[in-house]
Amino acid sequence: MTHDTALVAILPELILLIGACAVLLVGVMPRMGTRASALAFLTVAGALVATLLVQVPDAAAAPFGLWVTSLTFYVRCIALSVGALIVLVNWHQPAPSERGEYMSLILFSLLGVLLTASANDLIVLFFAIELVSIPTYVLVALSRDDARSSEAAVKYFFLGAMSAAILAYGLSFLYGEAGTTTLYAFSEGAATSNFPHSADLGAVGLIGLLLVFCGLAFKVAAVPFHVYVADVYEGAAAPVAGLLGFIPKLAGFVALVKIFAAFNWELPEAVTWMVLIVAAVTMTAGNVLALLQKNVKRLLAYSSIAHTGYMLMALLVGPVAGLGPLSDGVAALLFYIAIYGVMNLGAFAALSAFRSAGHEVETFESLGGLAKRAPVAAFALAVCVFSLMGFPPTAGFLGKLYLFSSAFSLPESHPFHQPLVLLVILGVVNAAIGAAYYLRIIMAVYMGEEVERAEPVGGAPVRWGLGLCSAAMLIVFIWPTGLADRARSATVVLHQSVLRNAGKMAATESEANTSHPLASRRLPNAVLPVASD
Amino acid sequence: MATISLNHYLIVGAVLFCTGLFTMMTKRNAIGILIGVELVLNSVNVNLIAFDRYLGPNRMDGQLMALFVIVLAAAEAALAVGICINLYKNVATVDVDRATSLRG
Repeated sequence: MTHDTALVAILPELILLIGACAVLLVGVMPRMGTRASALAFLTVAGALVATLLVQVPDAAAAPFGLWVTSLTFYVRCIALSVGALIVLVNWHQPAPSERGEYMSLILFSLLGVLLTASANDLIVLFFAIELVSIPTYVLVALSRDDARSSEAAVKYFFLGAMSAAILAYGLSFLYGEAGTTTLYAFSEGAATSNFPHSADLGAVGLIGLLLVFCGLAFKVAAVPFHVYVADVYEGAAAPVAGLLGFIPKLAGFVALVKIFAAFNWELPEAVTWMVLIVAAVTMTAGNVLALLQKNVKRLLAYSSIAHTGYMLMALLVGPVAGLGPLSDGVAALLFYIAIYGVMNLGAFAALSAFRSAGHEVETFESLGGLAKRAPVAAFALAVCVFSLMGFPPTAGFLGKLYLFSSAFSLPESHPFHQPLVLLVILGVVNAAIGAAYYLRIIMAVYMGEEVERAEPVGGAPVRWGLGLCSAAMLIVFIWPTGLADRARSATVVLHQSVLRNAGKMAATESEANTSHPLASRRLPNAVLPVASD
Repeated sequence: MATISLNHYLIVGAVLFCTGLFTMMTKRNAIGILIGVELVLNSVNVNLIAFDRYLGPNRMDGQLMALFVIVLAAAEAALAVGICINLYKNVATVDVDRATSLRG
């Protein structure tokens, strides 16, 4: 593969990079600050068009430690689509003089997500994740000019730096185990993982895997690395809180998927138990603590922790249960995270579209009676909250259905069949607890008394963002295959490498599994033998 | 006298890591916490270089990553100072325990 074709393969990333620099320059020009948002929106849209139009050349590996696969394609699509909504919701956020920096930081963060999805090297993976996180620390500090946002930024930054250090320490052990930082080696067009099977995994590799999980648990906001979430969401402006629920979570989960896939999803028992317990505690703690909150932003922060718990459950299943839409854990996870990002952003967009008495709407009292004054915005907020609850006819219902059914479809011979069924039951109980506090928001909006008169602010872009978020929730419910098929085709490459490595172990590699890793990129319904039951 | 093996380096790395983690958890001054982060990142570098030296000849990956980690540490230090100045401007302290306006 020449460097020219490699540059074409990473065209969306290049567009984002150039756009982010251009937005930064436009921002410092006098009287041009207000144009920065429009330019940022155009950049994201251009990168999305490039993703959809440019056919990735059929080459096994791109240079620079990247490997562009169907997973990359899916993550690019959802990150850039939700990224466009994020730019809309943040359109008027900081003062015009700071808007250029602010928008370019959002673009750099999105660039980090895209690079995480195509990283084929531990070094690239680590720095892509840091490229996601570091701009978000600054965004929290920039979002408002008061003591609360700078306190939130300090807490977020120091815990983030600690998690990055733990992640790097874990990756150094993984390097020691594998002897190389490259995740997949390519020979004759087929990719094979450089990492050993769990049976051969030494103590060094086990420590590395546990530390890497701890480091990434911070990014996805899992217990016990969740302590920052509520303070940061409360201290940051609402549009930034909406962004924090999607961008770092997506990068963290994609990185976890890539690392687990490199280990062929044959995790050592200690790691599996740890993920299982973390998932159970995360969903329970998130929901119970959310019940106790009086501030809507803190409530949504704890609900974001609870949703991480549900997604960790699907991560644990992985591609082991088979390739169907209802059994593939990774496909369910990738489907859910896109939906979660949109519905969470919609809820925060609704909060940022109103102000009462000069400050943000963030208590139940200030939301009271919103439906009488702004029926459309109240309806859009209600759709997003019902979706967070997992109530039909919204996409959140389908997302939860896919997550839970993937955990149910582990074959009975699998050693973790029983614990996962218990985890699903816990998840369903938790979803019921969740309904209790989400209904409090709906109650306040539709039946609450008008204590404070919240006035609409923010202008057309925020309202468009809110409307598109809630419309997306209804459209995905009516037509889920558009997103679900893409999520499923994103995991085909994982299935192939899992099957191939399993075949390599048994020395009976079938012909179907040796096909080119990119050949299936345009074949969402590729029929592959399911992992043996 | 016993020769120094890979494990010795890994133990030095682990001691650095634990010291850094302990510093981060006990220090109340923001700059103190930053020093803890730097210690942990240095433990990463010790590990990477040791693996390079003992895993076989002509290994470069770990040394490359160590260089990048040094750059990351510098970037984080710059960012930390910026965020601390922002905190100092707003609440006139860099003692993280006294920044307590956000409570649930």
